[in-house]
Amino acid sequence: MSRESGEIEQKYHIPTVSLAGSNVVSFGLGANFKYNTGMPLRFVGVPFPFSGQPRSVLASYVQGKDTVSGQPFMQAIIDGLTKPLTADEKLSGSAPDAPSAEPRMLPADTQDNLQRIFRDRGWTDYNPVILPTPERVAAILKGTSHAPDEVVKSAAGTFGSRRPFTVEKVATIAVMAGARPEYLPVILALASRVPYEDSTTSIAQMVVVNGPIRKKMGMNSGMGSLGPDNEANSVIGRSMTLIHKVIQGYVEGVTGFASLSNPLRYDNLCFAENEEALPEGWQPLHVQSGHKPTDSVVTIFTGWNFINSTGWVEQHYAPQFLMRDYMSSLSGMGATLIMDPSVAELLSAAQGFNSKAALGQWLSQNVQKTAQSYWGNSIVSSMLAPLARQGLKPYADWLDISGDSLIKPFANPNGIHAVVTGGKTASVWFATDFMPDRGTSIDEWT
Amino acid sequence: MDRRKMLALLGLSPVLAAVSPTFARTAAAFPEDAPGASSCDSGNGAVSVLNPAITTKFAERVPLAPRLSTLDGKTIYLVDTDWGGMQQNNGILEEIQKWFAQNMPAVKTVIKIKAGNFVTDDPGLWKEIAQNHGDGVIIGVAG
Repeated sequence: MSRESGEIEQKYHIPTVSLAGSNVVSFGLGANFKYNTGMPLRFVGVPFPFSGQPRSVLASYVQGKDTVSGQPFMQAIIDGLTKPLTADEKLSGSAPDAPSAEPRMLPADTQDNLQRIFRDRGWTDYNPVILPTPERVAAILKGTSHAPDEVVKSAAGTFGSRRPFTVEKVATIAVMAGARPEYLPVILALASRVPYEDSTTSIAQMVVVNGPIRKKMGMNSGMGSLGPDNEANSVIGRSMTLIHKVIQGYVEGVTGFASLSNPLRYDNLCFAENEEALPEGWQPLHVQSGHKPTDSVVTIFTGWNFINSTGWVEQHYAPQFLMRDYMSSLSGMGATLIMDPSVAELLSAAQGFNSKAALGQWLSQNVQKTAQSYWGNSIVSSMLAPLARQGLKPYADWLDISGDSLIKPFANPNGIHAVVTGGKTASVWFATDFMPDRGTSIDEWT
Repeated sequence: MDRRKMLALLGLSPVLAAVSPTFARTAAAFPEDAPGASSCDSGNGAVSVLNPAITTKFAERVPLAPRLSTLDGKTIYLVDTDWGGMQQNNGILEEIQKWFAQNMPAVKTVIKIKAGNFVTDDPGLWKEIAQNHGDGVIIGVAG
């Protein structure tokens, strides 16, 4: 919203007052102002929660206090539009209090002190890190041909704020996470994708690696691939957590406001696809995204839910039926099924799904939920209800029907993905609402 | 024989020997990190390390638009950003509109819903507000 207020103020010279919930208003007043807009926009804080509140409560908010200034809510709005600008609000050009550049090296200190410094400055996941000595960073940099001082990206912070970082910074974080040199290209590819998506909701990321580099790094795509039983899976996932915190600069309550966050963020569900175990006709994830089979690619998924099949496939209830049932609890924005190769084999050989796309098509046609449950999800409602009101099909058709009416929420079959991984010791799977990006080349970072 | 000399004879870096098994495992991945190649200061055990922190650049400052001397006779647009969907913000904007009607009737208020959804821009609406001589905008609610 700061973007819109800023555009109205700057381009049309019309004064604005921005209303924000008390849960996030400090972001507009703080980090977003300093690092993104450069405009000290005038905010009035609305008590949280306001979504879903009855009209009487909303009326009481308007009759009540501004959560920012503490003065009467409407007086704060009037002041926001009429009170003359302060000297600070008239400033233009370079910010007067810009932070000084971080030194390349930290002052030498004992290992215990350094561990404490790294922890206290928010550079860890609260597990000890490997201290990035120059020797270790130099060693890990041998995993890439890119120069240490090459800038990987500038718009790295939340909402694209400027946090330029180099290959050496990524190598430093890779050392901290415990990486080997051969992991560095994947970690660089991951770093090139910041900023990762954040939300006040429990959003999370998932990382899937495809292509020859899986074997070169020793990633696990077989037995236990989703667990903490493989060095590469574990360390690359941890690297992403540290990249999010150190490079992106995510700080809970400052640049992000996840109410519960998500335990998947500890390691970002990092694993490799078991390409060798794909049934005939089932393409690897990266090939589906347009990459060559011989390319090494990392795909970052974003989502919220991770529903376990719990048990194995029963003879009397083919896997697609239980997938359909479980998926009805997902939002419908998109889905990814993570399945053991044995499940893929059953779906292919016994059920006739000759491709991942065929399975997506069937699920798109067969997953159902009520319209009121569909619109009851605030992510769906935020993203699609406004477009539905503007006539976008099929969502527009789902607005005016009875709440009990059944709809097919996965309207786009291409939004249903499948990734095969695991060791064939149980025909188990997960239904998730994770949605992939187009995949990032790892080869470009070797 | 002091501890450092003993470790050196055993082929161990004092730095590596002083830390966790995880440290030792990872260090093993770096043959260059052999004894004597560490950044351990021989005097006090201090270690030199790279600083992982990124320097954040502040945004260029942009001044706010001049404020109004009064709201009397002015047209104020109440813009619904559509955050939350399903008309979550309409209620509070309508309550604000009602308050103006009851307490400052000389203020004209107009409610508008932004096109697209909360993540999309609506430059057409900002232009429309300017062309219709909108004097001020109350926009929200972000949550």
